[in-house]
Amino acid sequence: MKQNIHEYLAEFDDIPGTRVYTTARARKGYWVNQFAMSLMKDENRKRWLADEKAYLDEWPKITQEQKDALLARDYDKLLDLGGNIYFLAKVFSTDGKSYLQAVSTMTGMSVDDYRNMMLSGGRSPEGLRSKKKGY
Amino acid sequence: MAHITAGITSSHVPAIGAAVDLGNTGEDYWKPAFAGFDWTKEWIMKPENKPDVVILVYNDHASAFDMNLIPTFAIGCADEFQPADEGWGPRPVPVVKNHADLAWHIAQSCILDEFDMTIINKMDVDHGLTVPLSLMFGQPEDWPCKVVPLAVNVVTYPPPSGNRCYNLGKAIRDAVDSFPEDLKVQVWGTGGMSHQLQGTRAGLINAEWDKKFLDDLTADPERLRKMPHIEYLREAGSEGIELVMWLIMRGALGDKVKELHRHYHVAASNTALGHIVLEPAE
Repeated sequence: MKQNIHEYLAEFDDIPGTRVYTTARARKGYWVNQFAMSLMKDENRKRWLADEKAYLDEWPKITQEQKDALLARDYDKLLDLGGNIYFLAKVFSTDGKSYLQAVSTMTGMSVDDYRNMMLSGGRSPEGLRSKKKGY
Repeated sequence: MAHITAGITSSHVPAIGAAVDLGNTGEDYWKPAFAGFDWTKEWIMKPENKPDVVILVYNDHASAFDMNLIPTFAIGCADEFQPADEGWGPRPVPVVKNHADLAWHIAQSCILDEFDMTIINKMDVDHGLTVPLSLMFGQPEDWPCKVVPLAVNVVTYPPPSGNRCYNLGKAIRDAVDSFPEDLKVQVWGTGGMSHQLQGTRAGLINAEWDKKFLDDLTADPERLRKMPHIEYLREAGSEGIELVMWLIMRGALGDKVKELHRHYHVAASNTALGHIVLEPAE
């Protein structure tokens, strides 16, 4: 059952529209994700909402690109920069947004269209399993 | 002696918790999702079925564990656990009371059995643990049984293999069987089924694959044990990997099981909601 770690990781890049949260991504996004964790405290949520830029200045190891994406709530970009959805959930929850509302912003669909797609069975995996094999 | 009487699986979508907490379960959107739990709610409170303890397998969603510490298998051993504040305040649900003697016994037994468990005492529990409790027990003043939390890393790769999870389930069964108190113990596996919470593929649902997974918990658990992570990711979406946790439940029930009840509903928020009740068949 032993798997080669390089082959194991390489397969993840073959999945369309998906960034698997590997240790490489986790290292890149470490401070973004730790910042998000700070929003589990109500006093921090209040300070963040009162002055987001000032709050981010307390996190010198978050890059400017990551800060801009956080301020813009660009979740798709944040995933590229090492963010993880369960950590970023603290950011959109602080905004009073649900997973469905936040996730839909990454799909190019409106919230209503996305919600309706889910109610009519969700997105089919057909053609979205593998880039190379196209099935 | 303690023994394992049943296994339950359920998705643990946070929006389900919100629907319960806000009193929205009767809305058209939620009605069919909750209806499939009516059978279980009645079954589980009958004296012959009611568990004394639930070993609740779930994943922490960046609540108790941040990027500083990523245990693969962590067993909660304190006397109680508070509901976590995940960014919108803690859920208004009862404190989770542990059977700490059993939890410590399982931790010790599994470590001797070569499963290197992380032992955790101070830990808040998030929707991964509290939503299945709400689905099975509704909104009681106190949860009607003790709960041993067993948190599995399925967030940072690699998570444990399905086979490893299945074998841990077997080790948990041996541990429970050697605990001297007379207890009815259930093992719950939570999370899944197909869902993807990121990128242009978000919203992926694979009902055919999910139903085969539900079938094979009874018909062919060997297939599920051997399934590589990439299959979960391709077929059931990036967050479908949570289903490896169901195999801890399955491993704990022994070779043969009988299916008592199942429910499958699309969609609860972004997710295919799956639920099954199994009992050991020998």
